[in-house]
Amino acid sequence: MAAYAARRLLATIPVLFFVSFVTFIMIRLAPGDPVLILLGGKRMSPEMIEQIRARYGLDGDPITQYVAWIGRVFQGDLGTSFKLKQDVTDLLLSRLPVTIELIVLSLLIAIAVAIPLGVYQARRRDRLGDYLGSLFALIGVSSPVYFTAILGVLVFSVWLGILPTFGRGTEGPLDELYHLILPSVALALGMIALTSRMTRSAMIEVLSSDFIEAARAKGLPDRTIIVKHGLRNALIPVLTVTSLQVGFLIVGSVLVETTLGLGGLGSLITDAIQNRDYPVVQASVLLLTVAFTLINLVTDLLYGVIDPRIRTT
Amino acid sequence: MSAATAARPSLRRRIGAAALVRNRAALIGLVILIPLLVAALVPGLLTQADPNAQDLTNSLAFPTWEHPLGTDKPGRDVLARVIYGAGPTLLGALIVVLVSGVIGIPLGLIAGFYGGKTDGIITRSMDALLAFPPLLLAILVVSTFGKGLETAALALGVVYVPAMARLVRSVTLVQRSQAWVDAGRALGYSDRRIIFRHILPNLVAAIVVQSTIDLAYAILDIAALSFLGLGQQPPDPDWGSMLADGRSYLLQNAIPALSAGLSIMLAVIAFNLVGDGLRAQLDPRERER
Repeated sequence: MAAYAARRLLATIPVLFFVSFVTFIMIRLAPGDPVLILLGGKRMSPEMIEQIRARYGLDGDPITQYVAWIGRVFQGDLGTSFKLKQDVTDLLLSRLPVTIELIVLSLLIAIAVAIPLGVYQARRRDRLGDYLGSLFALIGVSSPVYFTAILGVLVFSVWLGILPTFGRGTEGPLDELYHLILPSVALALGMIALTSRMTRSAMIEVLSSDFIEAARAKGLPDRTIIVKHGLRNALIPVLTVTSLQVGFLIVGSVLVETTLGLGGLGSLITDAIQNRDYPVVQASVLLLTVAFTLINLVTDLLYGVIDPRIRTT
Repeated sequence: MSAATAARPSLRRRIGAAALVRNRAALIGLVILIPLLVAALVPGLLTQADPNAQDLTNSLAFPTWEHPLGTDKPGRDVLARVIYGAGPTLLGALIVVLVSGVIGIPLGLIAGFYGGKTDGIITRSMDALLAFPPLLLAILVVSTFGKGLETAALALGVVYVPAMARLVRSVTLVQRSQAWVDAGRALGYSDRRIIFRHILPNLVAAIVVQSTIDLAYAILDIAALSFLGLGQQPPDPDWGSMLADGRSYLLQNAIPALSAGLSIMLAVIAFNLVGDGLRAQLDPRERER
């Protein structure tokens, strides 16, 4: 298992090089000269412009630039933002907490709602409660996260007036948490839908197996059967799928942050792409891709733990 | 994938109209789809109003007989914009799925049929593409090659290729070991003939199901790019950009944002229902549940 994990980890290295290279080249192919952004509208002589190019590593062919950039990344230097004139590492570190909090909170909400819902649906199979749960799941997978967020603002902030509308809390951790409720629920909705569907079908499968029959025959209380014998077995595939979902939460967080003006990593990236802020785009895409790849890797490893046949292929 | 190995006539029976009627959820999905398709193909049939006609004296009006859903900021008829917005959104999603199919199906067929080194190269490339957070890759491509519905749809199409290629590859692997492939070889058929005439027809069921579900996700993603200002450009209507627009005056009049958002939701629900229905008909394991 350890050898398998190490091999998989090594296999991600060329992928990361590929992703960073494609990002690097693509942002450079985009129309618009970043030097003009650096100048901020000031007129300068061609010599001065050449100097600026050299200082920001924008001279020479793209391959040389890429090699130089990668070299600096390995030394922990991600460069300076063209637009915000800030060290990119500091910039990422200041934006990262919001995004991580958002994703973790959504994940907790999703698990806390989806698993009980799925179990309930499995027990009430093909009855009203089950149908309502399925309807909720259908709406959950079908509503765009940016619309759910807007809808939430409308209902809970404007009409009911119980949650803040936009932006990030500024008055301590409790206020920050308060501002995160709406975005994380909006982000969690899609995941609740998928996870509850998964829990429902896994529970139905487990509950129809022989050992559940045996447990019932032994006269064990219903609660013990459902939780100890049913849920424990059903949970394995559910948690694996859930970990895969974290990747989608990363993408969703970009949209939620932009919609609700949270100012995390997601809005940093969309702004940077629009502004041709090369260093920020390169660094943040790399960071998100590393996170995305590691999550996918962990998921694959989890599959390997559950199903040993996967390891050999 | 025993569903895919069944003979062709029964496939038609299973995904035909009669089968869908038997599946109530899929039927509801189809019923929702009809007005959406009419709006996308002949929007003039559903409204007389011009979606781009401005009336600055009548900004952000609430519903009246003349404007059943009111007007937006420049005084344009919201209902007309919702109806005319169906076309670009659905067309965009269709392009996404077509692109993923045109590239992904042959790649999956070749990888699955030939195996070995070819398979290794294709599978590696697909894995590399999957390493990008999906929407982020599309955002990057669109800002490189220019905003607009076509670029957005093509970029998303590329993002959708790996899933399609993986599916086709896995089903092709099963097909390759079937007796009729050996029979075809013995008769001296070319690889191309075996792949396209004998293997591909057996993959249709799986591809149809995957494409329908992909359509639902493609609508969400194409609207997301428009919402971020990277898809359909103003003044032409599109659900994603309408929603972004409506968000800016949400507190004064929420109807434009709600209309656009609910339209997206409804379209996605419809394709999800039809897709689930098709899967239930085509995959016997699903039918049990």
